[in-house]
Amino acid sequence: MTTITVQDLWDEGAERLSLSIIAGEQHMDRKIPEIAMNRPGLALTGFFQYFANQRIQIFGLAEFTYLKSLSDKEKRQRLEGLFEQQIPGIVITRNRKAPAEILELAERFKVPVMRTSLVTMNFVNECTVLLEKLSAPRERIQGTTMEVMGIGVLLRGDPGIGKSETALSLIERGYSLVSDDVTEIRRTTRGRIVCWANEVTRYHMEIRGLGIIHVPSLFGVASIRRQTELDIVIDLKKPSGDEDRTGVNPENIELMGVEIPCIRLPVRSGRDMANIVEVAALNQKLKELGHDAAKELDDKIINRLTKGRVQHG
Amino acid sequence: MAETAVLKKFKVTNEYGIHARPAALLVKAAGKYECDIFIEKDGNKVSCKSIMGLMTIEGYPGSILKVSASGSDAHDAMAEIEELFVNKFYED
Repeated sequence: MTTITVQDLWDEGAERLSLSIIAGEQHMDRKIPEIAMNRPGLALTGFFQYFANQRIQIFGLAEFTYLKSLSDKEKRQRLEGLFEQQIPGIVITRNRKAPAEILELAERFKVPVMRTSLVTMNFVNECTVLLEKLSAPRERIQGTTMEVMGIGVLLRGDPGIGKSETALSLIERGYSLVSDDVTEIRRTTRGRIVCWANEVTRYHMEIRGLGIIHVPSLFGVASIRRQTELDIVIDLKKPSGDEDRTGVNPENIELMGVEIPCIRLPVRSGRDMANIVEVAALNQKLKELGHDAAKELDDKIINRLTKGRVQHG
Repeated sequence: MAETAVLKKFKVTNEYGIHARPAALLVKAAGKYECDIFIEKDGNKVSCKSIMGLMTIEGYPGSILKVSASGSDAHDAMAEIEELFVNKFYED
């Protein structure tokens, strides 16, 4: 798991979570050891036997109402107790005005405090998604990613084998480009791989002999997708003669600890790779629906042949 | 080199007969050679280089298949195909 700081949360979520910094701006580099949020209501009552101090602390309506019921002395005492636990940061929801004690303690204990206009529930939901995305393990791999009828396809192969050309044909058939040649991947908590493109080169492609093109300008916004979940890897390679001929024993490869079905496609001149990739994606979709054509045909044949043994033998 | 033609008969001895996996092995072996190779059973003759063909000949366990190869490398091809039949297509 990648370590993330309050700064990361701010960079990625300031806009989406309508955040503003109200205290401790120079301490935004504090780490968030546990990628989650905590409502500190119980801690404010003075109960610290179990306190999730490694998480972002959320002050919502409940916390505020409770603080209001305390005397000034108690309030200061309890809040001090909270800050002494070395919390990574505080978020106040519903754009409430932070009590002077929180602002003061934040500076003293070097804890950043932010405020959001969202109500607590919405903030927690949005922020959970964001934190998961931020903390997910990620890598950069070589390959072109397409989305073909809802199936995420990663095309790999040696330089010059025709990844971009195949992608271009698929785009012309109405499918969408996610990334060309360099793909960023991350693993979700559900054990899926999500592919997207580098910010800088996103939606551009390099076609040999043409140079760099901008895909949505040429083919329209329907020709691109921001990201896709990966369903199948297709390796384009020179013909070697040992290709799979039946598909009865499909191969898998491992990406960030996730098993992904992998097809090795030999490239020959005159072979319409886009067409084959399209069929491979469709076939994968069929398999995910529980219908494996190769295996079913094989079972049918074995069934016939072994029945035949009884008849003829 | 002169055209050679070889003809041999093999018994299918593996448990399930010629299903997808043995068919794929036969096609891969045959595909390596230039010569024409056919497999015949009960009057049905199919190319040994066609998966779909091999899966239709009903090579059930115990049946006899007639294999014919013709071309310059027919002997080598036949030797490799024989190996597959003899070793029960490496199935247990």
